[in-house]
Amino acid sequence: MKEFFSTENHFDTLILEESDLLTTILLGVLGAKLFIWYIGFHELVYLANKPEEGDDMIEMHDVWKVYSNGVEALRGVNVSVGHGEFVYIVGPSGAGKSSFIKLMYREEKPTHGIVLINDVNVKRVRDWKIPHVRRKIGVVFQDFKLLPSMSAYENVAFAMEAIEVPKRKIKPRVEEVLELVGLNDRMHALPSQLSGGEQQRVAIARAIVNNPTFIIADEPTGNLDPENSWDIMYLLEEINNRGTTVVMATHNKEIVNTLRQRVIAIEQGVIVRDEEGGEYGYED
Amino acid sequence: MKIDTLVRHLREAYRGLRRNTWMSFAAVSAVSVTLLIFGVFLVLAFNISYMAKEVDKTVGIMVELNSDLTADQKEEVLNQIKGNKMTADATLIPKEDALREFKELLGDSGNDILAGLDSEDENPLPDTIKVIPNDIDQFEALTEDLKKYPEEQVLGVDNGGNLAKSVLDYSGLVQNIMLGFGLVLAIMAAFLISNTIKLTIIARKREIEIQRLVGASNWFIRWPFFIEGATMGMLGSISPILITIVLYWSGYNMLNPANEPITIMKLMPVTELSLYVSGTILLMGVLIGIWGSIISVRRFLKI
Ligand SMILES: Nc1ncnc2c1ncn2[C@@H]1O[C@H](COP(=O)(O)OP(=O)(O)O)[C@@H](O)[C@H]1O
Ligand SMILES: [Mg+2]
Repeated sequence: MKEFFSTENHFDTLILEESDLLTTILLGVLGAKLFIWYIGFHELVYLANKPEEGDDMIEMHDVWKVYSNGVEALRGVNVSVGHGEFVYIVGPSGAGKSSFIKLMYREEKPTHGIVLINDVNVKRVRDWKIPHVRRKIGVVFQDFKLLPSMSAYENVAFAMEAIEVPKRKIKPRVEEVLELVGLNDRMHALPSQLSGGEQQRVAIARAIVNNPTFIIADEPTGNLDPENSWDIMYLLEEINNRGTTVVMATHNKEIVNTLRQRVIAIEQGVIVRDEEGGEYGYED
Repeated sequence: MKIDTLVRHLREAYRGLRRNTWMSFAAVSAVSVTLLIFGVFLVLAFNISYMAKEVDKTVGIMVELNSDLTADQKEEVLNQIKGNKMTADATLIPKEDALREFKELLGDSGNDILAGLDSEDENPLPDTIKVIPNDIDQFEALTEDLKKYPEEQVLGVDNGGNLAKSVLDYSGLVQNIMLGFGLVLAIMAAFLISNTIKLTIIARKREIEIQRLVGASNWFIRWPFFIEGATMGMLGSISPILITIVLYWSGYNMLNPANEPITIMKLMPVTELSLYVSGTILLMGVLIGIWGSIISVRRFLKI
């Protein structure tokens, strides 16, 4: 190439100038990118050009989760959870239920395969976009994960402050959800002053306060007595009836067999059963 | 950033500082020591460049011409010197002017001694050419060039021992040593800051976990730690700024007494220097603080 062009001198210089220009542009773009990254401006740009809402779906295509110690927690999972569904994830201990749940709120990335949350590929998504994916998802845990030094009200408000909701909008919304979970008279109590069931209701209030499309729960009744468990289930059912998708891993046979919903059974990292209105199917 | 959010971050940073009072205090002290070293360094550096500029303006090589030369011959030598690449300027100082300047310098007391030297023939001073080099670094080379003139033209070349230049060379070395020392201290201070930030991150672990979970932006989570680090840097810069200014002010008054026009060293004015020094120290404090925060945020803050 070089030989060829050097015989036609004006071509040579032309090529040189073009590549110089290209280098300059590339460097310029790189510099601008670095700068924008540096000041955190990208978040504003993203919010301004936010893509259209996705399909309100969680999809997994041939998903494998292999932990660093070599344990294969999930092995080729295919599933799709649509808008407004209520799904139980059941299976023996160590089957991979929690791993499945963690992939759904992008706590873990799939080792192989694709996880789509509202059409966003959680493996490919840039780190700074992840918060915006998570805002669509409310998560509830077995151990509540409330902040012990904050009152019920403050715990719920904390979730709104974290995503920078204007102050004046926080109070009415927090009171609204605390009323929905039936805790408006216990608003100022600390977690230590609340029963397990009440604490879980605070946690649920926190999970729904930012209007997510999904509620993902990992054994939400695991620490509760039967009566409180039922209260929590009625609450989740009520939230589902208002249009929020609910996915919950559970060990509670009675609940699954009474409030009939879609059941996905996982054993040794593989989905062995996926049926609408199914049974729990294990003897505990 | 919204005002609410900013207030929140400030409060969070304040809580972090209060939570680890002793660690914060240690980190702030380390910053102070570091910045004090830098403060002294800055005073030297600013003054030396200031003095160097003043010296550059006045320093000259005196070329003593042979009195046997005619006016035309003197002119020729002058033009040759002006033609030298290293010469910025060259002026012929006739011996009458030199004598007058000498008398002025000696003042009243000199009048008696020099009383007899008024007439043309008795003036013992030679005609001289004052040569200013382009650059203080070319001082020696230019002196050597000028020494090459034969005795019939030039009797001697005097560059005043070049005291100014050797002072500058020496202080340059001192400056480099201080800079190296300061850099090591800065690294230590940044690590102390990063350590207190780490404690804050650990103390707020659960809060941060929840914030991530509900979708707080990465910057929302990081900001309080950067503010905390920058605040420690800022607090650490207060005492070095005050100490440096007070020390410089007293030093200035000692070396440049107000009522005496002739001084050994012409220092930078206190107000001007204070402005530069406090600005620079403050900036460095904040940078060290942010640097410390970055270390910890990158290592311990899982987003
Ligand atoms: N962070 C981890 N690192 C290594 N192995 C893990 C990790 N989390 C879970 N596992 C392993 O993966 C398998 C599935 O665990 P998990 O998803 O918690 O199942 P389940 O919730 O159904 O009990 C188990 O063998 C467990 O030991
Ligand atoms: Mg589990």
